[in-house]
Amino acid sequence: MTTELAGSRGALFWLALKTGLLTVLTLGFYRFWMKTRLRRWYWSAIRPGGHPLEYVGDPVEKLLGFLFAVVVLAFYIGIVNLILMFLSFSLFQDNFAAYTASLVGVIPLWFFAQYRARRYILARTRWRGLRFGLEPGAWGYAGRALWHWALTILTLGILWPRMTFWLEKYKTDRTFFGSARMNQGGRWQMLYPAIIPLVIAAVIGALGTASFNFGEPEVAAGLWVIAAMIALYGFVHYRVVTLRLLTNAKTVNGVSLALSPSPFRVTMIYVLGTLLAAAAVFLPLVILGLLLLTIQSADVLAEVGMEDIVAPIAGAGRYMIIGASVVIYFTIFLLWSALTNVFVTLPVVRHYFSTLTLSPQDGVANIRQRPRDEFAEAEGFADALDVGASL
Amino acid sequence: MTTLRIGRTPETFSTSATYFDGTSAHPVPVSVTVDEEAHALVAHAGADFRWPLSEIREVLDQAGGDQMVIQLATDPVQRLILPDRALEPRLPNRTKRPKVTNRGPLVGWAFAAVASVALIIFVLVPAMANQLARFIPPEGERALGEVTFNQIRSALDQTGLNPVPVCENRAGLAALEKMETRLQDALPEEHGLTVAVLDHDMINAFALPGNYVVFFRGLIDNAQTPEEVAAVFAHEIGHVVSRDPTRHALRSAGSLGVLGLLFGDFAGGAAVLLLAERLIEANYSQDAEAQADVFAHQVLRDAQIAPSALATMFERFRELGGDANPFVAHFLSHPALGDRIQAAVDATPNGFQSVPVLTAAEWRALQSICD
Ligand SMILES: [Zn+2]
Repeated sequence: MTTELAGSRGALFWLALKTGLLTVLTLGFYRFWMKTRLRRWYWSAIRPGGHPLEYVGDPVEKLLGFLFAVVVLAFYIGIVNLILMFLSFSLFQDNFAAYTASLVGVIPLWFFAQYRARRYILARTRWRGLRFGLEPGAWGYAGRALWHWALTILTLGILWPRMTFWLEKYKTDRTFFGSARMNQGGRWQMLYPAIIPLVIAAVIGALGTASFNFGEPEVAAGLWVIAAMIALYGFVHYRVVTLRLLTNAKTVNGVSLALSPSPFRVTMIYVLGTLLAAAAVFLPLVILGLLLLTIQSADVLAEVGMEDIVAPIAGAGRYMIIGASVVIYFTIFLLWSALTNVFVTLPVVRHYFSTLTLSPQDGVANIRQRPRDEFAEAEGFADALDVGASL
Repeated sequence: MTTLRIGRTPETFSTSATYFDGTSAHPVPVSVTVDEEAHALVAHAGADFRWPLSEIREVLDQAGGDQMVIQLATDPVQRLILPDRALEPRLPNRTKRPKVTNRGPLVGWAFAAVASVALIIFVLVPAMANQLARFIPPEGERALGEVTFNQIRSALDQTGLNPVPVCENRAGLAALEKMETRLQDALPEEHGLTVAVLDHDMINAFALPGNYVVFFRGLIDNAQTPEEVAAVFAHEIGHVVSRDPTRHALRSAGSLGVLGLLFGDFAGGAAVLLLAERLIEANYSQDAEAQADVFAHQVLRDAQIAPSALATMFERFRELGGDANPFVAHFLSHPALGDRIQAAVDATPNGFQSVPVLTAAEWRALQSICD
């Protein structure tokens, strides 16, 4: 069973622009509706076996989940940070200790939020009328993530594939489609091919450092630039290849999944898509820069007693320029978010899912429905902490 | 049954569709027609249901526009996927929200959430800050003041690149020091103050934790006599002595981040700017301001400076406040400014003998401290 894809760039552009405008006009509150509507669109564009996915999240529950998370985090930030700040200044005479402690305190919460967000999204995703689901286990996930990160850092990245595998297995083995539990097969060692470009980048980087020590700074700089570019590709390569290897080892109800995205293609989409979006916001960005420069230079001239020269842009004129700058700033923000949806997110989603196949043909037909996961907190923590779920 | 129709007969609607019953993943091919009499969508073959047309909702924001996904308003899981949009004109409530999610208690939770955040920001954090301010050691307080001072200097610069400079004209500093000594001698006990003038035209002055007193050049420029500056100086010392700035800075440390949370990515930056401004505005309680005033009156009298100079300065702020500066100085923001002017006048005894604070030359030096 292969996956069909529907939907045009134009329709997505208008949806993103329209909902983005409403978000700006409501001081950000419409963003829960914006995210929900965009998800509905993206989900429905993906049609495995010709049947579209459906996203059934409710923006109001998303808003409330966010408010709930804000209460918890307000308590944390308000009280805990106040005490940390007090201790830090009292004991060390600076705020570095307080910032460090409060940052470290947020890390487990960050993993917790990621798992909870995944649980909410799966609970609100349907295909062929059946709900997906993720079993509770966010603290278990956060604990394992901390442990694996510590191991990865201590081994200078050598155990990174091990972390990727075990964290993915933790999530996959708790994932359901209807009544059927998903299973992550394979071994963590199978992910090692994915880090080859990063190893190459590290070797070239080390060669650069060596030639720097031998008094060849030009050669060193060249090698470092090459290493940095390979490393950039290496991160995308790692993500795409591990995703392929992991997906190919997943089964649900005896059905195996297969995915064959190309890391090179994904990198090109990111690079070219971002460049295209940047080219589109370039002109408004230049205008904004000129306006800000006008305001700035007017201030400077006024300060050195040359107000007469800038009289036309003082007073009312000045506020009009500031108003225009604000409008252009938000235009750039809106265009950028709509264009990155069209030129980056959509092409990447399309590329991934166009390679998704399920076999045997109709092995999922006998799966039954699962009960609704109420989960009133939604993905509030993820929204409040901005854990970087892109959709 | 035979029905006689008068007028135009609606075209008969009939199509094939895919039905998901919401209990199994099995796609059921069905053919559906519209029962014009009963205003219902009827399924034949494969499945057997009648959906009243007014109860049908479309699943919105779908990509493609080729097919149409519909559901029953009261049923969360059943779906019918139609191959085209021909049914659209027959659905009177197509875009209404399905009644499947229960939002009633959620609204209550929303209010509770907003109330808790307000409670944390306006009650819990200030109460704790007031307690902690009493226990912070002097070195800690000093460091807190230093950090805040630098934050304010950076925040006031519009480009955010170079902090507002501190004025260092030697003769001006000497005049300022003379003024400080005069006030210090009148204090009940010695306070090691750090006094600074920032090169900025805001008409304001403020105190920071760790015995900082900071003037803006705008205030010194707009004062007519050195006594007016000395009066403001005494008022700020009043804040220092009662440790208002320390409480305020701790409170800000607690509550500022919370507000940043509430707004998303793009509004977050604006919120931070607003908060930096609030740091300067230093809205102490009405009580704290009144106490600093009373303290200033006493110190000024003891230093043989007429407390009415404070009243003159307040009046000048009020005159200039309208057009001189977009910022509102913390002296101005108070509703009871009139009362404070009256109090400063009343605090000056009849026939009060004042001794000038600075000579004419020293006053000129102070006014050009930023040159
Ligand atoms: Zn005051």
